[in-house]
This record gives sequence, C-alpha cells and structure tokens, in this order.
Amino acid sequence: MTQQLAETIRRAQCGDRDAFSCLVEQHYAAMFSFACRYLGDRQDAEDVTQQACIKLARSIGQFRFESAFSTWLYRLVINCARDWHSSQRPGQHGELDDVPTSDNCEATVLLRQVIGMVERMGEGFRDSLVLVLGEGLSHAEAAAILQVKESTVSWRLHEIRKRLSAQVQPGVDV
Amino acid sequence: MNNKQLENLFARMDDSVDKEARQRSVAAALQTFDAVQEEKKNTPASQGIVAAHRLTPEQPSIGRRIMQLITATNSARGWLYGAMASAAVLVLGVFIALQIPTQSGLVSENATPDGSNVQSHYSMPARESLALADSSKVAAQASHGSSSLGFHAFSLPEETGPRSSFHASGRDKFDTVDANPVKRVSAEPVSTFSIDVDTASYSFVRRQLNAGFLPQKAAVRLEELVNYFPYDYPLPKDRSQPFSTNVTVLDSPWKAGNKLVHIGIQGYELQGARPRANIVFLLDVSGSMDSPDKLPLVKQSMRLLLDRLHAEDSVAIVVYAGAAGTVLEPTPVKDKQKILAALNRLQAGGSTAGAAGIQLAYQLAESQFIANGVNRIVLATDGDFNVGIGDIEELKGFVERKRQSGVFLSVLGFGQGNYQDALMQALAQNGNGVAAYIDTLGEAQKVLVEEAGSALFPIAKDVKIQVEFNPAAVSEYRLLGYETRLLAEEDFNNDAVDAGDIGAGHSVTAIYEITPVGSDSAVFGGSRYGEKLPSREKSDEYGYLKLRYKLPNEDGSRLISQPIGTQSQSTPEVLREARFATAVAGFAQLLSGNKYVGNWHYTDALKLAQSNRGDDAFGYRAEFIQLIRKAEVANAM
Repeated sequence: MTQQLAETIRRAQCGDRDAFSCLVEQHYAAMFSFACRYLGDRQDAEDVTQQACIKLARSIGQFRFESAFSTWLYRLVINCARDWHSSQRPGQHGELDDVPTSDNCEATVLLRQVIGMVERMGEGFRDSLVLVLGEGLSHAEAAAILQVKESTVSWRLHEIRKRLSAQVQPGVDV
Repeated sequence: MNNKQLENLFARMDDSVDKEARQRSVAAALQTFDAVQEEKKNTPASQGIVAAHRLTPEQPSIGRRIMQLITATNSARGWLYGAMASAAVLVLGVFIALQIPTQSGLVSENATPDGSNVQSHYSMPARESLALADSSKVAAQASHGSSSLGFHAFSLPEETGPRSSFHASGRDKFDTVDANPVKRVSAEPVSTFSIDVDTASYSFVRRQLNAGFLPQKAAVRLEELVNYFPYDYPLPKDRSQPFSTNVTVLDSPWKAGNKLVHIGIQGYELQGARPRANIVFLLDVSGSMDSPDKLPLVKQSMRLLLDRLHAEDSVAIVVYAGAAGTVLEPTPVKDKQKILAALNRLQAGGSTAGAAGIQLAYQLAESQFIANGVNRIVLATDGDFNVGIGDIEELKGFVERKRQSGVFLSVLGFGQGNYQDALMQALAQNGNGVAAYIDTLGEAQKVLVEEAGSALFPIAKDVKIQVEFNPAAVSEYRLLGYETRLLAEEDFNNDAVDAGDIGAGHSVTAIYEITPVGSDSAVFGGSRYGEKLPSREKSDEYGYLKLRYKLPNEDGSRLISQPIGTQSQSTPEVLREARFATAVAGFAQLLSGNKYVGNWHYTDALKLAQSNRGDDAFGYRAEFIQLIRKAEVANAM
C-alpha cells in the first residue's frame, strides 16, 4: 500500500470529506469492473457498486490496515453482491428482454451461463473463479480475500475446470 | 473449456465505467459519509453500544417493524400479538415433533438382495429442479440471442447438484411379501424353494436398529438374516459331493408342541495346495462413495474376500480420494483383526484422484510380488476416476504394461449415479481382470470368490431344496422365510429353472416349523368327516429332503436326498448352531410382526442367542445380541 493511499484512508476515517470522495473516485473503476465480472451484467454491477460505495462510507472506519485496501474492497463488493442477490426476487432477473444488445452479447450470455453453473457448484466457487480468472489474482491473493486456505482455492478452480470441460460441448465458439 | 477460454471470456466483459453511474455512486456515498459524520458529532463520547454506531440495513428489518407494531401502540394489542405468536410456535413445535421420527425412521440402506425389491431414489429435490429451470431459462436466452445474432445455439446440461445431496432420502421401497402361511400336509405335502445367500436385509436392519428405529417390516427378510451368520456345520467329507446337509429337529421355542426342522447346508471348503495370493485393495473413498450401497458394501465385500484368503496370503489397502494414501501396508491375512480394523476406519469424503491411487497400488503389489502366486489389485469404485488423469489412454496403457509384469487388476463397480461402466471395463480388460458391478453382497460373493484367486470358485449352482412331509407324522408345516424364493413343485426337477448358487465354504440354513400329528398346537381344526387315516408306515420320518444342484461347469443337475427322522441324531455343535439360527429367525419374525410367534419376545430371543453364541470368531453374533437389545429399546419407544 502506498504511503499516499494510507494517508488518504486515514484522513477519510477522521471525517475528511474530500479525502473520502477522492478514495471513492479512485477505486470506483476497479470495484465496478470486478462487479461486472462477478455478476455478468452491467446494470446489476452498477447497482451493486453503488451499494458498495455507500457501505464503504459507513464502514471506512472499520478498516484497520491489517490487509491490503484492495483485498478489503473485494470483500466488501462480494458481500454487497451476495446481499444484492438474496434481495432479488426470483424471476426478476433473467428475462428475455434482459439480453444486452451490444456486440458483446454472446460473450456476455456465455459468461452468465458459466457463472450460473459455477454458482450452483457450491459456496465460494464463483468467488474463486472471478477473482483468479477474472481479476488475474494469484491463488494466494484470492485465498486471502476469501479468507480460506490457498489449497481450497486451487481445488475449487480445479473442480470448476473439470466440470466445465465435461459440460461445455466441444465446438462452442468462445 | 480451459483457463484461456475463461479468461478470454472475462476479458471480453465490457467493464468500461459509465461516468454518470460513477457520479451517482460517489454522490450517494458522500451523502452517507456526511450522515455518518453527522451522527459521530452528535454522539461524540459514546463508546458503549449505541444503535446509531452499529451497521444497520438500509431499512428497518421486518422483525423490528413487528416489534414496533407491538410496543408502540397500546399494551392490549401487544398481549394479543404475543399470544398469537406463542400459539404459532406451539403448533410448529408439535408439528416438528410428529415429523421427526417418521422421517428419520425411513432413511435407509439401498443394498438389496436382487435389485428388484428396492428402488432408491437419489434426492436432488427442489434444488436440482430449480437448477434445471434456471438452465433452461439460460438456454432460452441463448437461443433468443442466436436467432437475432446468428451464433451457435447451445445448451448446457444442468449441474447434478452438489455432492452432499447424494443420499438416499428415505424413499426406499420394499415389496411387501406376506409371510409363508401354515399349510396342511394333507393338502400340500411338498414344499420347494431355491437357496438364497443374500444378506442385504441384515445390513439394512442393522443400520436401522443402530439408528434407534425398528426397520420397515417389509425390509426384514428372514432367510437373509439367518444366512448372514456363518454356521459351524460339519464340512462335506469328499469332493464328489460339494456340500454336506445337516438336518436337526428341535422343539419350537415360540409354540409348545411344534417342532423346528433345520436344514443346514455347508459348502465344501477349498483344500490342497493353492497358490499364495498377494492382494492390494484399491478403494475409492471419495465423497460420492458416501452412500449405503457404496462404501459400506465395499467394506463388506472386502471382508467377504478376506474370509476366502489363507493365513499366509498378504493384503494391503490403498485408498484414494483427494489424494492417494496407503491405509494398510501389506499384512498377512493371519492378522485379520488388523485388516478388519483398517477397513472399518475408512470413511468417504473428498474428491477423486484415481490415477495416483492406481500407481501406488501397483507399487505395493510389486513390492510383495509372489512369483508363482496370485498378484492382483482389486479396485472398488463408483466410477469417479477423473482427478489427476491427464489422459485415459495413458492410464490404460499403464495398466496394460503392469499386467505384463504379472500384477492383474480387477475392477468392482459399486452404487449408481455416476458409474462409468465403459472406463471400468476398459481398465479391467487391459489389466487382465473382470469388471463387475456389485449391487448386493450376493453379487460380491460371486465375484470375489471367483476372482480373488484362480483356485477360488463357486462349488454348486442352481441349488434347490424340496421337502416332502409325511402325513403320518406331520399335520401342518410352515417354511420360515424364503418367500421370494419359492418354486413350484415341478420346477424342482426342471434343470432349466434358475436357482441360487453356493460358494466355497458357504453355509445356508432353512427352517421349517412343523406340527407333529397328535399335537394340540395345530392351527387348523380337525375335519368332521375325516380324511382316510394315513398309513402308519414310516411314521418315524417327518419327511424326505431332496436337494438338487449343478456343478459349476455342468448343465445336468445332481440329486442328494435323505430322510428327516423324528429322532434326530445331531452333534452338540450342530444343535448349538441350529438354536442360534432359531434365535435369529425368531428375531426376524418379531421385527416383521409375524403372527406365529405368540408371546415369545425379544428377551427370549436374547437368551437363546446368548446361550448359543459358540466361538463367534468375528464377533458377528455378539453384534447380533446387541441388535436384539436395541430392538427391544426401539420397540418400547
């Protein structure tokens, strides 16, 4: 963590409005990008990121510099995404009109399918997948964020690969 | 789909930040930030539990709103709500209390004697159907996309749910078979049935009783309980006749005046020089094996196999799950307790690293290689064999090379759900072994006795028993158990009719309850018009026992016959074994709610079993005595 970032966080914790504003501005892109990959949907990602920003305002005082700020932020976004998921009524999401019309459509749909399948594999699988393959973190970093052992992350990814390779038909154009 | 493709997929996700959205978020965050700071200023010094400092949901929770509803208005309303809530909790509590015993009482074992009696349904209930609905929705999305944009329509098969749902969920079905009725000798003097060496019912009953419940009545099959135990009948004298028949007549313990006729068949034990065996059990203990018809059956099968080995043979156990490991270094079979203890310790859990396990097993087998003996790996798995295999072809090649070194591989498949038959077949063929699917212990017996060593084999097949009762000596008879194995009288001499097989060293017991002529214990009343008086000839015989069997490699059947004398001359050992079998049969009848046992009770079964325990080298009978006690407790509840 750079000296400068630590200083900004400290000032925000003491109630410095500008410092906090700066902090949010700086990290918004990273949070949003992660939320996008986690949820597979821009609209949802915007909502979740906004919730995460609000949560950040409430809980910035609880950051104790024990881990990297980014690690802490990932955890925050994951928690928000989970809360957001559980607050969604079934059927509210995934209607046909929800299909984005950008030229990225097929990748998005496929990504959502993959995420959905991985989600059904159990708790923590989706988190591990997005952190390692989506965000390019190492297994150790992902393990630190998810507060599990490194081997657990490795095993989850192995399991995901195994099952996906068994399930996605060859010839699917990715 | 590999890592690259997944990464690529993530990378193609459009994550460019929308400026407006960012503005909104920052504004919202700042607003919250201001509010938090404001609260801080208003309550500067407080360090204790202050509601405002706690993280709260955006809106008051439902619980809080309800509490406010009660407390904010007048207290009478509060009392009303309180009373309603208490009543609701009470009703729920009673409901749960009523549900618990029935639900858990039904959780049961899938192992079945012949598969047809039991159908188990693996439960992937609401969860899977949700998943299914979900994936079909996604597939619909995909095909919608394809119609407008012209890319491949594809559908992904749904996940089969997490491992934890691989449990039988108490929906085992048992065909209800009525117990054999009492028959009049004058009306139907001949009784015919096939022998049965299955023992699955005993495991099922044991499992239920150990859980503290009486088993379903339909799950109790008397002959399977009786035949679970090895009996110490004398061995046949020579090889020309593959088994000895031992007939014993006892007084019926549950009905004064009646007699029990025991027919004990002891299969011929393999003798003479037999090559030594070096066997490595390679057992799958991954999470998916955690099902009653998988790992427990594997253990039973391995025990069965163990009984067929000689003291100087060597056994090792390798397990694989997340990682492969040696549970038991090569151990001579004379240390049976050590091997059994190692088997009993096994528990299922984790993923499956079959390839590593196979390598380890070969290493162990080769370390104990016996030049002129049987060197074999016995792989038991439910088919999950996929972690760590780079290439299935490579694995097959490995097994094939090892075969040339003299170590063979047999594959035993267990359970249902994800059994990979083709892979198992391929491995076994390449390993010079047989791929067998084991759904019952009878099957395990068949497979393991034939396969474990080249000299182990079934000694007779299609074994049928026919008893003709003498009307001069017996007025009524009843066959205990074997309801599902009854044959028509004429089938006895028909060699085309299939019947049960008997393995080396196996013992089979059948029991008839008879009412001798003149006894007042008959259930049928006398006939007013009388039948013609039976001839007094041969009144010292209760009946005539006939036994038909085929040698394993013959198609024509052979016949053994002997009379059942009223004055039976049994040795004390055979008498003891017959009494123990009686205790088991009585216990089975109690469990199945049989109407013929009268006032006989669990305590009587307990006494009878305890006083006839015999040597009980493996502790089976001691375990049975515990089961009677458990049944007594469960029955009282």
